[in-house]
Amino acid sequence: MPVNLFANNVFRQLVTRAVRTEYLENLTGFAWLILQPLILLAVYAFVFTTIFKARIPDAGPGGFVPYLAVAFWPWTAFSEAVLRSSNVISANSALIGKVAFPSELLPLSIVTATFLMNMAGYLAVLFVLQLMGTPIHWLGVAAAVPVLALLFLFACGLALFVSALQVFIRDVSQILPPLMTFWFFMTPILYSPAILPQKIAAVMKFNPMTWYVGRLRDFLLFGNFQLSWYDLAVPLLTLLLFWVSLLFFRRFSPHFEDFL
Amino acid sequence: MEPLIRVRGVSKFYPRVHHPRERLRAFASLMTGNEIHEGAEVLHDVSLEVTAGQSFGIIGQNGAGKSTLLKLLTGVISPSRGSVEVNARIAALLELGAGFQPEFSGIDNVKMKAALLGISSSQLDSQLDEILEFADIGDYVYEPVKHYSSGMVVRLGFAVVAASNPELLITDEVLAVGDESFQKKCIRWIESFLERGNTLLMVSHSMFLVQKLCRQALWLHDGRTREIGDVFPVTQSYLAYHEERSAAERLQRRSLRGDSGLYRVREFSLPGRSGDEDLVISCGGDLEAELVLHSPDGRPPVALFGVMRADGTPVYGVASDYDNIEAEQLDDQHYRFRICFDRLPLLPGSYSIRGHAMDPQGIRLCDTAELRFIVSGESREMGMIRLPHSWNS
Repeated sequence: MPVNLFANNVFRQLVTRAVRTEYLENLTGFAWLILQPLILLAVYAFVFTTIFKARIPDAGPGGFVPYLAVAFWPWTAFSEAVLRSSNVISANSALIGKVAFPSELLPLSIVTATFLMNMAGYLAVLFVLQLMGTPIHWLGVAAAVPVLALLFLFACGLALFVSALQVFIRDVSQILPPLMTFWFFMTPILYSPAILPQKIAAVMKFNPMTWYVGRLRDFLLFGNFQLSWYDLAVPLLTLLLFWVSLLFFRRFSPHFEDFL
Repeated sequence: MEPLIRVRGVSKFYPRVHHPRERLRAFASLMTGNEIHEGAEVLHDVSLEVTAGQSFGIIGQNGAGKSTLLKLLTGVISPSRGSVEVNARIAALLELGAGFQPEFSGIDNVKMKAALLGISSSQLDSQLDEILEFADIGDYVYEPVKHYSSGMVVRLGFAVVAASNPELLITDEVLAVGDESFQKKCIRWIESFLERGNTLLMVSHSMFLVQKLCRQALWLHDGRTREIGDVFPVTQSYLAYHEERSAAERLQRRSLRGDSGLYRVREFSLPGRSGDEDLVISCGGDLEAELVLHSPDGRPPVALFGVMRADGTPVYGVASDYDNIEAEQLDDQHYRFRICFDRLPLLPGSYSIRGHAMDPQGIRLCDTAELRFIVSGESREMGMIRLPHSWNS
């Protein structure tokens, strides 16, 4: 990745463009950005607390809703970023076919725009939670920043890989949404790993998203800042994935135009 | 001096990727590190060197590989074989559509294009007025580009490219869509751009523009180099090629005519022509022709000479009876006519001359023979014939 990515004029233009088309195209776009996850959150909260009467033993001070909300927004940002960038190369074939520029800027700009927008929503939700009486550990907010930055990098890595692959295998954009839904349910977002049998909970640790949502809850809701080997493994894995994906992308990007 | 552009033995294949299975196979061969050597070959073994300050025209029929060559030069695609080097600081490509995205407004696209050309945002702020003035499309810049006419898109695209102060300008058939006054503005700009020692690479179907702006030319034909060199010989043989093609089509349509007559052409020759090669005369030289006609009944036939461009467009025709010329009788049945066109005013290009046999009344055309000749020379004049003229200033 170019070190001066944010100083790159093309990148800034692409991000501005992505923010405008994805979110600000219509007047209500920005409102929907907050409303849509809020509505989804309300649906999940209703289904799980009222219908299924789900009990989360370690849900913490605010109960189910804050427990869900703290994990739900980062997941939405992550999943939206990956899904949106999956077909970004084909969507910009006109640009790629005409100008030589580092095409990795395309998926990276989509991920950046999605994170910028969703993180604004996340901050708003944290404020709302605080106002509704759930104590948010504001020291935890500072600790959450590097976690979210790593999540961003994780999304970038996947986005690079998926968007390059989609040029060659078009089906990727069809397969990806159900895969992401599956991933959503395989991650303790709606539930707590504590309700799972020991064995399954151990397996679930291999899902990097388990670490992300777990650490965000630890920091923001519980003020638990204890670290373990796990806090080293997942960031390293994230960096490795990003690096490999970037190599993969750059290996194949000279051939994009032939396949578009 | 290090050339600005060096293209060495470049071939380009586009893999077959219409079917998902073909895509997968092509992708698999990429994965295993094999380059793709099957599929549609759009360029074959093309080499080109352009030094700084040159102006190069690239000509050829549709589908000859011109745009692919430009894509290779701008680095949008990579060659299947051979190498491409471009050592320009800023190389700007301008083509139809200008790389604009239709959903966005003109001003947004200007910002994007400027960023892609390496203009910083502060630099753009100071140059924006200049760009808008050059483009001269008024308040349309705030409208989405999809509402633009193709001329307006090129206006805006050209304005940004001009502002980026490129070292190498590559244009792909863009001047054709601008209106007259904008074309003139662009040509003036390109001329001063060249005077400053910059380099131009231009794809165009307008030989007028190529001859006006370029000193060298490359003629691509079916992805191969057909001819490369000074602009005049290359464009002339390209034009001659087209003229012959349309003439060949016309000849096929026309059934043989005038072959039923009594009077035949026995011999038709151009003195000075050697072997089977076309006669070459220099612009302004004399053209001589000799026609021997066969007359079975011994009466002197009428001879008709016609000069035409290689595509069959008539230039001039004259018959012996118009000028009351008596044929030179060779024997009972053969008559000879000789004609000389002094100081031929034809402009450089490919032409042919026909000798016809007509009946003694000069009414019926009986037989035809045709020979090609080439008028050589360099000239920027347009048309077919140099009209005598004087400037009154």
